[in-house]
Amino acid sequence: MKNVLKQSTMLTWPVFVFACLTLFLGCGSEPQPSRKTLKVAATTTMVADLAAAVVGENGEVHGLMGPGVDPHLYKATAGDVNTLQSADLILYNGLHLEGRMADLLVRLGRRGKLVYAVTEGVPESELLEPEEFAGHYDPHVWFDPNLWSYCVDTVVEAMSEADPANAEAYEQRGLKVKSEYEALREWGEAYVNQIPEDKRILVTSHDAYNYFGQAFGFQVVGVQGISTMSEAGLADIVKISEFIKEKEIKAIFVESSVSPATIQRISKDSGTRIGGELFSDAMGLKGHLESAPDGSSFDVGTYKGMFKHNLVTIVEALK
Amino acid sequence: MRDQFLPAFSFQNAIIEPWSLYFDSTIWIVTMGFLVAATCGLIGCFIILRRMALVGDAISHSLLPGITLAFLLTNSRDTLPMMIGAIAAGVVTVALIEAIRQSSRIKPDAAIGIVFSSLFAIGVVLISAYADTVDLDAECVLYGEIGWIPLEDRIVLGGHEIGPLPVIRMAVIGLIALGLLLTFYKELLVTSFDAGLAASLGINPGRYQYGLTLFLSVVIVSSFESVGVILVIAMLIFPGATSMLLTDRLPRILWLSAGFSGLYGLLGFHLATWLDASIAGGMTVVAGIIFTLVWILAPKRGLLVKFVFKSHSKGARTSSIETQAG
Repeated sequence: MKNVLKQSTMLTWPVFVFACLTLFLGCGSEPQPSRKTLKVAATTTMVADLAAAVVGENGEVHGLMGPGVDPHLYKATAGDVNTLQSADLILYNGLHLEGRMADLLVRLGRRGKLVYAVTEGVPESELLEPEEFAGHYDPHVWFDPNLWSYCVDTVVEAMSEADPANAEAYEQRGLKVKSEYEALREWGEAYVNQIPEDKRILVTSHDAYNYFGQAFGFQVVGVQGISTMSEAGLADIVKISEFIKEKEIKAIFVESSVSPATIQRISKDSGTRIGGELFSDAMGLKGHLESAPDGSSFDVGTYKGMFKHNLVTIVEALK
Repeated sequence: MRDQFLPAFSFQNAIIEPWSLYFDSTIWIVTMGFLVAATCGLIGCFIILRRMALVGDAISHSLLPGITLAFLLTNSRDTLPMMIGAIAAGVVTVALIEAIRQSSRIKPDAAIGIVFSSLFAIGVVLISAYADTVDLDAECVLYGEIGWIPLEDRIVLGGHEIGPLPVIRMAVIGLIALGLLLTFYKELLVTSFDAGLAASLGINPGRYQYGLTLFLSVVIVSSFESVGVILVIAMLIFPGATSMLLTDRLPRILWLSAGFSGLYGLLGFHLATWLDASIAGGMTVVAGIIFTLVWILAPKRGLLVKFVFKSHSKGARTSSIETQAG
């Protein structure tokens, strides 16, 4: 059992030394002044954007996942651990988008941390679930601004609980954000009218756009199924290529956080062109400006900009 | 996006703060890094000798049909059914690898390739045929993340908090591995180096092969669940491989592996803190750097010594290395 002894001494020494150090440093520091701002940690870029819009100048938001990061491939950094531990409030998407990390967050919630899944306010009747697997809802609700609006209520509620003194301010900003999302949906509906209804077919890498399709009247065809990890079957590729030719679909789309290989292959097989790159599980780089054909410009590093980018890309390619 | 490729090194941020401000996170992440590296390293020493070093990578792929079947049977993506499916798939993987190599002329590396690619393919087929509409992949439903260890539930024993659940579990698994090693040391040693000799001593090599690899599959899957995949695959290989560059004697290799494991955990954590990067990645990079240093600078067999020695007397040195290699 010598190894065991060695393990324990190896551990004891640094523990002892640093425990002394902690005590020493702990005695030296002055008591902290009372906190002014609410510290919010958010998982995906969409959740972080929503949180930042509601918290305004009453707090700051730390997003864990960067632009273009597939939530499945996200790796925690040392800083992220401290962000989560020191946060007053943790917001995540939920509906299994964050995978096992969500279990961890729920356990943190049970131990007294304020943790909210922003999608918990979306009525179950509005959620899409696969026919054969009840309860495993599609997590990509942000592609319908109306559904994402429900999430605003949850965020307002969460922030008011974390910081009751400023509840009024969160309420006000929440209302403003909701009206912006409403305007976004109206803008989208009007913009989409440029495509005749029978031409509204969206072919992409994975099934991220079902809520989008439902909201704007698109038939959505995901090549890979809903997981970004599964691969397209050969029969699927042939079937989709045939489908594209039959329906004379003008363009198909790649996604920013999924490998474009399969879509490129289908594009080659069916002779249809690739209409552009859509954002799916993450938004673009902050400060990257794009402009719509109507002259308005938007930042693809924001939720609204990301949504407009997707819609403009789709409509311009298909009309 | 980072503002600069390499952030300035700040002693305060990278060394002092983790052990003062964030002591409670740091201690458990470093301890967990050490425990995973030491446990995987301990078993790794034997699997390297058996030319099965890539079995960790193999299992990370071949558990796909296990979790898919577990999901189809339970309609749940909770950790428990996923773990059970993954362990079952891991056990099947190593049992098949052993069966192929023991009953045919196929070498272990080829046997690993055959088994894991077939099982992975079965998993892909199962998912695309039956579970296409849910998000089901090991990265998302099974693999853990070493960075989250401090946030896990703490085990309290007799009023004292003794640590996060995964750390305690890993320590128990490590102790079991150590206990098994001490109990079956002679048998493992002989069967790893010379199956023929083992048989003549009345030790059934097949039984120990199965025993070791079955235990291995349980260790690997539970480590995946606690800390993710890259750290486990790396730690099955690095501690043993690095130590083997320094000595030939198995007891020393095992001791050195434990020592290296501590270094990986500690230095890797600080590297990750400095760069604000993935912690498992940091620990693995440190393991790679230490391996490279040892490879070049090892006192007896390092590249440097070989190079210097070669220019003096070529013959004696190469012949002794060949004998050892054979």
